[in-house]
Amino acid sequence: MSLTEARPADAEPPGEPSTSRPAWRRAPIFPILLIWIVLTALLVAFALVVPARLMGAAASPTMREIETTFTSFSLAAAPVAALVWAILLYSLVAWRYRGGGRPTDPGPPVRGNNRVQVVWVVVSTALCLFLLIWGLIVIQPSTSEASSTQAPLVVDVTGQQWVWNFEYPAAPGAQSDELYLPVNQRVLFRVTSKDVVHSFWITQMGVKVDANPGATTTISVTPDRLGTFDIRCAELCGLYHSYMQTHVHVVRAEEFRSWLATAASQAPTGEVPSPSPSGTATS
Amino acid sequence: MSATTVETPDTSPAAPTPEMGGFIRRLNAVTGVVLGLVLAVVAWQVSSRLLPQPEELSHNHHDDAVMIITFSVWAIGFLIGIGAFVGPVRWLLGRDLTEADEEFLAGKDQGVARYFRFTTDHKVVGIQYLVLTMVLFGVGGLLAMLIRTNLIRPGSPFLNPTEYNAIVGLHGIIMIIATIVMVTGPFGNFIVPIMIGARDMAFPRLNALSFWLLFSAVPVLLAAFPLGGIATGWSAYAPLSDQSPLGMDAFLVTIVIFAVSSGVAGANMTTTVVRMRARGMSWTRTPIFVFGTTTSVALGLVAFPMFMVAMILLAMDRGLGATFYVASGGGSPWLYANLFWLMGHPEVYVILLPAFAALLEITPVFTRKPLFSFTAAVVGIAGIVGLSLFVWAHHMYVAGWAPALNGPFMVTTEMISVPTGLLILVLLGTLWRGVVWTRLPVLAVYFVLWNFIIGGVTGIYLSDVPVDQAEHGSMFVTAHFHYTLMGGALTATMGAVAFWFPKMTARMLDERVGKIGFWTAQIGFNITFLGMFAVGLAGQPRRVADPSSTFAAGNLVSSLGAYVIGIGMLIFLYAIVHSWRNGEPAPGNPWGGKTLEWQVPTPVPLENFAVPPVVTSDFYSYGEPPETPAPESVSVPRPADAAAPGERPLEGSAS
Repeated sequence: MSLTEARPADAEPPGEPSTSRPAWRRAPIFPILLIWIVLTALLVAFALVVPARLMGAAASPTMREIETTFTSFSLAAAPVAALVWAILLYSLVAWRYRGGGRPTDPGPPVRGNNRVQVVWVVVSTALCLFLLIWGLIVIQPSTSEASSTQAPLVVDVTGQQWVWNFEYPAAPGAQSDELYLPVNQRVLFRVTSKDVVHSFWITQMGVKVDANPGATTTISVTPDRLGTFDIRCAELCGLYHSYMQTHVHVVRAEEFRSWLATAASQAPTGEVPSPSPSGTATS
Repeated sequence: MSATTVETPDTSPAAPTPEMGGFIRRLNAVTGVVLGLVLAVVAWQVSSRLLPQPEELSHNHHDDAVMIITFSVWAIGFLIGIGAFVGPVRWLLGRDLTEADEEFLAGKDQGVARYFRFTTDHKVVGIQYLVLTMVLFGVGGLLAMLIRTNLIRPGSPFLNPTEYNAIVGLHGIIMIIATIVMVTGPFGNFIVPIMIGARDMAFPRLNALSFWLLFSAVPVLLAAFPLGGIATGWSAYAPLSDQSPLGMDAFLVTIVIFAVSSGVAGANMTTTVVRMRARGMSWTRTPIFVFGTTTSVALGLVAFPMFMVAMILLAMDRGLGATFYVASGGGSPWLYANLFWLMGHPEVYVILLPAFAALLEITPVFTRKPLFSFTAAVVGIAGIVGLSLFVWAHHMYVAGWAPALNGPFMVTTEMISVPTGLLILVLLGTLWRGVVWTRLPVLAVYFVLWNFIIGGVTGIYLSDVPVDQAEHGSMFVTAHFHYTLMGGALTATMGAVAFWFPKMTARMLDERVGKIGFWTAQIGFNITFLGMFAVGLAGQPRRVADPSSTFAAGNLVSSLGAYVIGIGMLIFLYAIVHSWRNGEPAPGNPWGGKTLEWQVPTPVPLENFAVPPVVTSDFYSYGEPPETPAPESVSVPRPADAAAPGERPLEGSAS
């Protein structure tokens, strides 16, 4: 660094102007505060209503948690965004140079303001920590859930250009191209692919995991709403990627049992599966 | 280094026999194209005959190998034909270039022809980059229009899935390359050397080489069109890229050439900035834009080799039947994903840093205020650079590659918002109570802060693992990165174009037409991508040719918005082209800027500075007592000292 530093005598940049506080130091706090509050209110209203409405009704606790996270992050971000935009708006109106030609008078030579910088860094770090802690806590339950007493229903999901195939090891031979799940029971998906990378996405349940060839990934969810929801492929997988979609039917437990029995009895005609010893998941 | 080009009066053993010089004088882009094409055809014929025929291999690797060889030979032939290697070859033969040859290479007295030669003058290279970038944006933008037209209503009314996928990938990679070079290419080459008081880059021939390498990659990339396009998206995830049509070979050769080009450019620019700053320009007096471009290209030096390696492995998979990414052969798609994102995330900061730095340079000029905290800006840039190397796997939260690492990567990713926030603080602090002269360049600051806040906040959602589980791979992600890269970086670059246009073209940009185009594009941009956020949240995946009719309304809005962007960009382009040809002549310093590039005459003379400048303070002393009377006193060469300081900086850089 000092290689190019020719004259240390002049190295000091001109510091803070040491004169008494001139007029420009009196910041226009009030109008900016007003714009800030208005913008914050608008953004908060937006954050409370719009994203959740767009994401639609959640069909699992996972998705509900995601929507909560989304909303609370939006609420945390609202005042920050509003502050930046308030200053921008105000500066554009109040500090705009209205003369013709190039401005002749310079603006106030402010070089830094320790208080502002410290407050800014502390607040942004605090917000960042809030997001981090929130995020780290939210990703925990998925592991604690794994140790819950009830063994999950296992579904083997196989992606293949450009269909999804579902197998239910609990009923050997049962398979389908639309997913059937019992309501309020934890499901463990074991996801893989026969060809390229796909991504298994149940939109309304907030479930997504890649289907990789040569590897099995897992994800679990507890559907808690009856109905039919969307399954899409979320990783470009070739020609008909946009048509690699199907449905999941969340039904009552007894309906599911009878469906599973039917599926197991009628499916295997062509390709009789070996009586799989590990029918239910023990992991 | 450039000392040889610089010291005109210095009489070297001048025996420039005209015949010797005559050879380079006959080479230009046309001879390059001709030789490139001839050699490519030869390579194509030879390799398709000599390589084992398809039936001898399990897959059709033959055609891939032929394509890869042909494209590579084209690039090498083009560079030979344009004279890229004349200098080194002559040096090896013991007949190094003479003074006259060097001056010819620098483009002295050649008019427009110098833009079509292997010209070493950094200002020529800067203009070449500017034009090439605009051409790339034109092509990429046109493809975006085709994409949006296809999505205007459900049922894929306009393109079939093959065409759609091909176009999506091409749009992606063309835009990525264009945004990577859009600031460091034109302005890093043209402006930065002047800004630091240098007479050229450290390695002028490498500078020309970096541009013509990139240029040679463009026809290769465009050749992907007839070869089935890039049907994988620009991320080219394996093993889909293993089974893609021949366009993928064009893609991978393009990336390798591009990585070499950016490596050459990065090494050159880094050296230039570290070694060739003017006397007295300590790091604390170096303009912030120089920090932005230098950190960007230095980060590129780390990032792009990853992509190159990924592509070389892909070339082996495709051309030789290797199985680096094929699970059935013991490979792993995760290998590709890691290599790709090791490039992919630093890369977005390669794009953003110089664009933000341009705004940091623009704002003091148009508020007539010092930069609010130079230190905070540098710390912000350094923080972003440092963290950006450790965030790549946030693109792989749902890949299943290493779920245990999701937490740590979430931490690094969210931490990056703190240094980014510092840069925003510096912009706001500089605007604070400024004399805001609302010309086009500073409008970019306003729009960038609007757009980038949206892009940044949505990025925070995506950095959160659970939210990403819902939004990964959806149009929400597409909207997010368009907000950062287009709404942030490209918008900032439009401001930078408006800012430096008078210096680079010696004409004033038509402010009125430019503003109309700029506003139109910005409004269209927000319509398009707010609509895209909506369909993303509602569950539309990325890169689908025929989205479900559930998303019809949002897609219609996005498509209409995209046309508005297109119209706005055309108006902006018209302003540029029209002003470049017929604009009113620009004075040397139209904005009253203090950095060195505004102190040299316009058009900038070949060697920039008659006398190397001496820097005695930083360049942001607007309104500060000692500097107020004459901005020139900051930096301008004092003719009285002409002899002495003319020597000293050279000493300094040599010691």
